[in-house]
Amino acid sequence: MSVVDLSKVPFPENNLRLFLDETCERHELDFAAYAGVNPIAQSVHGFVNYPDEWQTRYVEKGYQHKDPALLLARRSIGPVDWQGLRKAPAFQTIFRDAREFGIAEQGLTIPVRGPFGDIGLFSVTRDCPDAEWALLKTKVLSELQSAAVRLHDSVVRSHALTRQLTHPSLSAREVEILQWIAAGKSQQDVADILSISNRTVEVHLRSIRTKLSALTTAQAVGRAIGLGLICPD
Amino acid sequence: MILIIDGINRHRYSRVLDEMFALRARVFGDRLGWDVDIVDGKEIDQFDALDPAYVVGLNDAGRVVSCVRALQTTGPHMLSDVFSDILDGEPPLRSATLWESTRFCVDTEALDRGKSRNSVSYATCELMAASLEYAQNSGITDIVTVIDPIMNRVLKRSDCAPYDYVGSTKPMGKVSAMAALLDCTDDRIKRIRDFAGIEGNVFVDEATAEALADPETVAEGVAPTPKAGESEAQRARRKAQLEEYCIDQLLDASTREELATAKRLADMLFDKKMIERKISHLADC
Repeated sequence: MSVVDLSKVPFPENNLRLFLDETCERHELDFAAYAGVNPIAQSVHGFVNYPDEWQTRYVEKGYQHKDPALLLARRSIGPVDWQGLRKAPAFQTIFRDAREFGIAEQGLTIPVRGPFGDIGLFSVTRDCPDAEWALLKTKVLSELQSAAVRLHDSVVRSHALTRQLTHPSLSAREVEILQWIAAGKSQQDVADILSISNRTVEVHLRSIRTKLSALTTAQAVGRAIGLGLICPD
Repeated sequence: MILIIDGINRHRYSRVLDEMFALRARVFGDRLGWDVDIVDGKEIDQFDALDPAYVVGLNDAGRVVSCVRALQTTGPHMLSDVFSDILDGEPPLRSATLWESTRFCVDTEALDRGKSRNSVSYATCELMAASLEYAQNSGITDIVTVIDPIMNRVLKRSDCAPYDYVGSTKPMGKVSAMAALLDCTDDRIKRIRDFAGIEGNVFVDEATAEALADPETVAEGVAPTPKAGESEAQRARRKAQLEEYCIDQLLDASTREELATAKRLADMLFDKKMIERKISHLADC
């Protein structure tokens, strides 16, 4: 399969390149990249905010076929830190090359698995010493996980057939919680009203945001109303 | 000690995985009477083909004593499929920072009662602490875990009570099953560690991980090809580390069976020229 560069084609609702730039800025990262496989659409999608010259070199050399960051990460459920790949010969080859374009070998790849065997790989890099990298990772990894899934879902849903299949479905508890949020209650209020823990409300809100591809709970409320999943207050 | 096996390294751990699938067969098939497929004494289902991550607990002789399986909730997992009964027909939670843990079990036959390092209680807490730490290090905030009422009681007694449940308890085989929520927080990890007296890093170091891996298929008597870029000094250091590990295993063995396993490992590594000296007799003095 060949690589479709999504940054060069018009993309409904989303400016993916902008999303990468914003993610980098928010989390003090240098570069970000996404590669995804959608077996239903039978396509491989990719886009990056690396320098254009490096993108060209990467594809010219066919690195996507031997880059261990991509090949290994898709078989992992947790993020793969590139520190663990340094011994792999292919990694050395690619990163000796990448250094010329100002790309550091400090990075990680987050694998995302979707419901249809679709896989997304979200990679980020940052030129910094190991100790600083470890600190940064602890701080931003949860948010990067959410960003990776949101990005992957929006790419998968850009395909008409997959979009039909991925109509978000909320559980009764999720609807109940979101309905109270839409009525202006705080997270703690909802916990008290439903006699459940604050953390239970939190884990459901995280799930709601993931299902609706929403960045914030407010956005999730808007989308849920739009989809008729909850009633406007 | 705890070993993480996932799609990246599973081809090197067929011995450990086989022992793990056999343990699952004894626990979920025989003891709990769940409707699971057992072939050749091993319980393997369709989710094992999806490259899940396994958190595997091993005793000092390298034998599997506990295990659990983790999958992302964004993709196919058990609650979205075979355990959907538990959720009363409701769609499961789906979150980038929520993992599902299933097939959590410990080998109650190989372990003792009480709270020693070789007890059911210690092995359970070590596995639980390790799974939470592995998830936390991956940026995961919560785990939804499918357990039976006995495991639920064990969790409560180990100062690790679930903060909530989703769906409801449903009959399954001789017992029932439920889906519990656990937060991957420092606080919870500390409470489990304190309860069982677990100190320091529970994950195996590189040398131990190497020793637990399947023997590499090399021609008899031929030294394994040195890894590219590995210097003479590094090779010597690796040999010394492996040998030290084997000696520890031989001297720490507390049962006849553990000793036999440790001797076998030492002899095998010597045959493959992965350690310098023949040391299996050391434990006989």
